[in-house]
Amino acid sequence: MALRIEKTFQVSQPIEKVWGLLSDPARVASCVPGAQITEKIDDKTYKGSINVKVGPSLTDYKGEVQILRLDPQNHEIQIQGRGQDVRGRGSASMTMTGKLAALDGGATQVTSISEVNVVGILAQMGSRVITEVSNIMFDKFSQNFQALLQQSADEPVVAKATTAETAVVSPPVQPPAPIEGGSIAWQAIKQMFGRWLRALKNVVSGRSA
Amino acid sequence: MIQPTTPEVGGMGHSIKRKEDLRFIQGKGNYVDDVHLPDMVYGHVVRSPYAHARLKSINIEKAKALPGVLAVITGEDLAKANLAWMPTLYFDKQMVLATGKVLFQSQEVAFVVAEDRYTAADAAELVEVEYEELPVLVDPHKATDPSSPILREDREEKSNHIFHWEVGDRAATDKAFQDATVKANVHAVFQRCHPAPLETCGCVADFNRATGRLTVYLTSQAPHAHRTLFALVGGIPENNIRVVSPDIGGGFGNKVPIYPGYVCAVVASLTLGRPVKWIETRSENLQSTGFARDYHMTAELAADKDGKIQALRVKTLADHGAFNAAAQPTKFPAGLFSICTGAYDYPCAFCEVDGVYTNKAPGGIAYRCSFRVTEAAYLIERAVDVLAQELKLDPVELRQKNFIRPDKFPYKSPLGWSFDSGNYQAAMDLALKKVGYTDLRKEQDEKRKKGELMGIGVSSFVEIVGAGPAHTFDIAGIKMFDSAEIRVHPTGKAICRMGTKSQGQGHETTYAQIVAQELGIPAADVLVEEGDTDTAPYGLGTYASRSTPVSGAATAVAARKIREKAKKIASHLLECSEEDLQWEPGKFFVKGAPSKAKTIQDIAFAAYTNLPEGMEAGLEAVDYYDPPNLTFPFGTYICVVDIDKGTGEVKVRRFVAVDDCGNVINPMIVDGQIHGGLTEGLAIAFMQQIDYDESGNVQGGSFMDYLLPTAVETPHWETDKTCTPSPHHPFGAKGVGESPNVGSPAAFVNAVVDALAHLGVRHIDMPIAPWKIWTILKEKGVVS
Repeated sequence: MALRIEKTFQVSQPIEKVWGLLSDPARVASCVPGAQITEKIDDKTYKGSINVKVGPSLTDYKGEVQILRLDPQNHEIQIQGRGQDVRGRGSASMTMTGKLAALDGGATQVTSISEVNVVGILAQMGSRVITEVSNIMFDKFSQNFQALLQQSADEPVVAKATTAETAVVSPPVQPPAPIEGGSIAWQAIKQMFGRWLRALKNVVSGRSA
Repeated sequence: MIQPTTPEVGGMGHSIKRKEDLRFIQGKGNYVDDVHLPDMVYGHVVRSPYAHARLKSINIEKAKALPGVLAVITGEDLAKANLAWMPTLYFDKQMVLATGKVLFQSQEVAFVVAEDRYTAADAAELVEVEYEELPVLVDPHKATDPSSPILREDREEKSNHIFHWEVGDRAATDKAFQDATVKANVHAVFQRCHPAPLETCGCVADFNRATGRLTVYLTSQAPHAHRTLFALVGGIPENNIRVVSPDIGGGFGNKVPIYPGYVCAVVASLTLGRPVKWIETRSENLQSTGFARDYHMTAELAADKDGKIQALRVKTLADHGAFNAAAQPTKFPAGLFSICTGAYDYPCAFCEVDGVYTNKAPGGIAYRCSFRVTEAAYLIERAVDVLAQELKLDPVELRQKNFIRPDKFPYKSPLGWSFDSGNYQAAMDLALKKVGYTDLRKEQDEKRKKGELMGIGVSSFVEIVGAGPAHTFDIAGIKMFDSAEIRVHPTGKAICRMGTKSQGQGHETTYAQIVAQELGIPAADVLVEEGDTDTAPYGLGTYASRSTPVSGAATAVAARKIREKAKKIASHLLECSEEDLQWEPGKFFVKGAPSKAKTIQDIAFAAYTNLPEGMEAGLEAVDYYDPPNLTFPFGTYICVVDIDKGTGEVKVRRFVAVDDCGNVINPMIVDGQIHGGLTEGLAIAFMQQIDYDESGNVQGGSFMDYLLPTAVETPHWETDKTCTPSPHHPFGAKGVGESPNVGSPAAFVNAVVDALAHLGVRHIDMPIAPWKIWTILKEKGVVS
């Protein structure tokens, strides 16, 4: 199941500061609910995991994240992630392009375009559930991202080298808990029904108009 | 001519209440999941999340370590016993548990056995399977593209093409098309759908190490055939296998195949020496067991300018999924699809079907239909409507112009069938009158002027059921006869055992009514028992509307054998010659002296107490009936719809169903069957599809996405019937259970297309969800 998700949000920090965070995969990953970078393979490749729990279905994807493109001039980053669920429930892959644009007054607009492909149990839930789950994940991501910007933008990431080849990145700001199942499922359903009710209202008001 | 019986006897034509409902409505049915045996344990299947992937490793250690887990079986384990693959019902083989690679999402990969159901399910989550994803083939039209992956590495033929089958006169048909003044064609996809019986599939396998006997309680529409297949595949002596089909909560063809879960449960029971229960979840049923249809069809009709049809040409692509697990008679790779010439009389036709593999669940089962008859009926009834549009003729008029006339029966169809009997015009006339066709057309004209959308859809279907003559029909080599055994007890009550198996059709009532009709023993006094292979005579089971045409016939013939013996006993008791005796249901009497009579109950008692010299005791008979031909039920369905332009929603305002299934055993049960089948037809036409995305993810794998009709969606059905008995059936019956599912989809779709015909719409593929209509209305500028 392939989905394209485009999201935009604004932060009050200036573009270079935001770029400092966006171009650091480990810290970006720490903003993604349930995600974690576990190992650095080289400057552009990391190993990581993400837990997604939708209702009773917990998927625990493990895989690689690769920076395909890093363009500081234009403030653009393209990341590709691929993972398989450890219990064989399926796989997911995502190519995300993140772009920054400076706004008046020193604020920054963050745009992300993600192409997500989900195979397996989660994909059976259909695009309506997956889209809502993605929306909620992204909302949480942007909250975390903004919180992180405010909180510790100046602190450098401490990388503790364990071996010569690999480095375990410092623990994320928040410990990676799986995205909370019950609440995500409930929020997704609420949003689906909310949209449906709004659509219904439009139809009804359209008719009477 | 059916002799009348009293309501107390309840022979043919009486709407007696269904005997089985007494326990069903009290919740006292006994289904497979109600079977509880001492020491019973539970199985759970680990399934593939991928549609096409190589198996790199399976780690069962964590699962095995969970307390309560008894065994974890993988494909490699089965391979050691040569059981990793099993034969399908149609010359193919299917993986029981995957080895090497998986070929569809939800394919069986491992089988976990534990002390309780929850532990088994939990342990299944702990089985770690590593996969390497492979390119996925979803679109059957791309199956033979060189760029598509070859799915079946086990086959010698390195191709996704399974079979090519053709029938008819290609040259004559092509010539008729060259000469024709009018041609019409339609490309219609009969979408992949699923019978979705309320009870999912399951079994309890119980191997007794002390006796060496294996008992399998099974959701089986064909218990005897399954016993034989277990014996052949498992190498267990057939006398040591007992298959019991208890109450079945709907089958519709879904419970004809043997599924990997059954085999795993049997293997687990053989290994552990304990009874093993395996019951599918709803999603497992929808995602992995026998689907139906998935026929991608093109029909062309050639006609003269007056609308007289000259020829039919059909080309079809059949998507069989990963394994060809269609339940099909051996000589018919596309089933009885060649009934696609329909109710119409024309000299030539040609039909070809190609079957292909894709990364989807295996199947191609006959969902409430006699092997691809639904697809065929839908196609011809759609094609005739498109031709009517081309000719600007009323679809009713076009049909009437082309109907096979009653005096032409038995009618030899251009694709080789011999239609036993029919009066298509009579069914059409009754339906037109009942629905008020002329007025409806007037109303439609007026509504169109006002911009309102209303449609009338007609379907004059012909079915072919009751397989079959044994010279032509077999399943996996076993001839398609069927059987009945009747034993009359000394007190005049009886037990009747059959080779078929009811899944809700009401056999316990209707077979008893046949006995009542033939012997005069009240239906209430006849116990009908099916489904236990230790007691019932051998038969091929219930599907393809074959119970009444074949086992029903066997029941009548067995009863007549009993009547012959009863006559001898009566002549002994009445001290007269057999020639002097006359029969009316329930008694023999001396011609001209009706008071000198012996009832069947008197005779039954004498059969055990007072026999003529030299006669063997008892009053029983068995018959294995091999029908001389199939039967050809038919009917006309008319559907009236209104379409909401704002939402694209179709509302079925009226639906008139006139069926002709020959002589009727129980009119109430026939009505019930028609109501049920029409409701399924409605769901197929408007709601249901097992769809796959480009990665092979099932998009109809739960009742969230695969919609079942409820009372809210279901309109009021108006049923009626004409009666054209089958000339070759012992009591003139034809079978009815499948007619409504076969005949109705075309009526629904024809009605919707008719509502939009003035906009230039000629065809819409099912399921006709509101968004499809809404999109068309937007494209045509009807709504903004």
